[in-house]
Amino acid sequence: MQESAQVVLCVDDELVGLQVRKLILERSGYIVLTALDGPTGLTIFHKQKVDAVILDYSMPGMHGGEVAARMRELKPNVPILLLSAYVGLPTEVTQLVNVYMTKGEGAPALLEKLHSLLQVPTLH
Amino acid sequence: MNLSKFNQILTQTLLLPVLALAFVAGILVWQVRNAERTVSAIQASGESIAAATRAEKLIVDEETGLRGYQLTSDPRFLKPYRDAAQPLHAELDLLRRNLIAHGESTRPVEAMEAREQLWRVSFADQVISTIDGGGDTRDTTLNLEGQKKLDDVRTGINDIVDRETALRSQEVGRWRLQVRRTIEALIVLALASGIFISVFSLRQLHRVSDAYQGTLDGLRHHAQATFDSEERLRTTLTSIGDGVIVCDPGGCVELLNSVAQELTGWTQNDAFRRPLEEVFHILNETTREQIETPVAMVKRLNRVVGLANHTVLVRKDGTEINIDDSGAPIHDRNGALSGIVMVFRDITRERRAQNALLATEKLAVAGRLAATIAHEMHNPLDSVSNLLYLLRGEKDPNTAEHYLTLAQQELTRMGQVSRAMLGLYREAKNPVTINIKEMLDGVIVLLERPIQQRQLTIETAIPDHLEVHGFPAELRQVFTNLLANAAEATASGGKLILAARATSVKTLSSATAHRGVTIQVCDTGSGIEPEALEHIFEPFFTTKGELGTGLGLWFSRGIVDKHGGSIEIHSSSNPEDHGTTITVFLPHTGPATTQT
Repeated sequence: MQESAQVVLCVDDELVGLQVRKLILERSGYIVLTALDGPTGLTIFHKQKVDAVILDYSMPGMHGGEVAARMRELKPNVPILLLSAYVGLPTEVTQLVNVYMTKGEGAPALLEKLHSLLQVPTLH
Repeated sequence: MNLSKFNQILTQTLLLPVLALAFVAGILVWQVRNAERTVSAIQASGESIAAATRAEKLIVDEETGLRGYQLTSDPRFLKPYRDAAQPLHAELDLLRRNLIAHGESTRPVEAMEAREQLWRVSFADQVISTIDGGGDTRDTTLNLEGQKKLDDVRTGINDIVDRETALRSQEVGRWRLQVRRTIEALIVLALASGIFISVFSLRQLHRVSDAYQGTLDGLRHHAQATFDSEERLRTTLTSIGDGVIVCDPGGCVELLNSVAQELTGWTQNDAFRRPLEEVFHILNETTREQIETPVAMVKRLNRVVGLANHTVLVRKDGTEINIDDSGAPIHDRNGALSGIVMVFRDITRERRAQNALLATEKLAVAGRLAATIAHEMHNPLDSVSNLLYLLRGEKDPNTAEHYLTLAQQELTRMGQVSRAMLGLYREAKNPVTINIKEMLDGVIVLLERPIQQRQLTIETAIPDHLEVHGFPAELRQVFTNLLANAAEATASGGKLILAARATSVKTLSSATAHRGVTIQVCDTGSGIEPEALEHIFEPFFTTKGELGTGLGLWFSRGIVDKHGGSIEIHSSSNPEDHGTTITVFLPHTGPATTQT
């Protein structure tokens, strides 16, 4: 666990899913920022300090792949976890992100992957 | 040879022998007439001889009477003398007339008569008057003179007789000659006319025979041509890969070709003259109701008719095959119905292939929705899973209750998606009443996500009460296809409209309007090119390249047809009002025996 709380940005168009994920992450000690679509998420990502991003793929207007690409342009070092209800996303999308996991794998799996993602920069 | 020529030959054949025989008869008649003349000349000579002989006898009587009187002076002896005078004149007259009649000279008769007259006057009458006077008449000189005069008379008569006898012999000779000539002429003419008639008749008969032979050859040729033509038609009929049944106007079977015999299980002999319904027993595949045969329809409508969709032929042995058929009236020269011909074929394999394709397409619909369904299930699943994780450590009952409510909501959503998905595949065995709104809502549930993702708006105008009869899963698949197509064809920001309304539609085959529901799926996509639009309902036709099966619209039309409905497409690629509208009409009655 980090000494100062880490900031995680969650982008998902599913309101209930987003709220529940926020609760879980907060319970694990993260500060959680949320956005219901890609453009809003990008604005927050651009303006605020974000340590990691949990990104949904399927969203109206701008899908997760596009959002991830823009984020990489803005802050290439921020780890991105792509979380999708879809299976078999195109490789050009999965290559953009640090971790790709499908929804429904459970909260422990998500927390573990997020944790390991946030561990990486401190090792360097 | 025409009839007048033939009549001419007949007339000639009859007339010329008659003329030849008439000619022969004419010659014979002429010959016989000549002979008759000769015979009458012979008869005349005979009569003349007889008359001369009788005259001589009368003269003898005169002399005998005169001598008796000379010897006895008894006047009774003078009677023959006196009696003879009259007949003698009569005989001599007869003789004279005969001679005149035959153109002979009467001079010998007159000379002889004059001599007799001389004997009578200068001797006989003197003797009588001497005796009457009591005188003596035995004077030798006188008697010798009298004798001499009488001998002159006799000589005259004998001359006449001799002459007539000679004439008679001459005539007899001539008659014989004539008879011989007649016989010869008869033989010659008979032979000549016989040969002539034979040769002529033979020639005429040859002409008739040639003409007959020609006619026979012509007939044989025609018969052969007719036979060949019939054979060709028969072969054509037999070789046709389709079953052909010909019925009389009463609807009884007259002919089945071999394919028809094979398909129905009836032989030509068994089926002959039987009512078509018995041989060609057809049912609706779905409802199992007997269908009106094409023959009955042709009789009713007097035009070419097609068969109902989904027709099953029950064969003689009870097995069934899917068939497709049509019937057409046969008209005679006057336009009256003289029979009905029906053509049908076994489409069981086709139907199986079609069913296989339909099954493929049903799977394709599943494939098309698989990602969406997975997404729609994973999202609530994720939420529920996370909520359970939170619940485990939650102490506050109110918060726990909130989590449970959220979990319940998510599960309800999952159930909705699951039911919609099942509704796509779980099919009713028989047609059921379908609420259009419920059905279309189920379709929208599954397609909401892709529609949102493409940032499309969907407008719906579906009244609650609309109902049709049919197979719900199939219809869901149809509208899933149509709505998914519309969504895929429309660019971001576009609009989709799904609308339904109650309508009645007139079809070509029926005068009465069908009541039902019209459902329209509209998009504001780029539209379909007219060239593509022509083929849009054909199987394996796609504008999506590798991404489409090319079966969606073909499948949809098949299902709509099965429900007795119709599907139409209108599309515009005009920049101002581009878009595509698909209009589906479904009758209330649902799948039934709708004639095409």
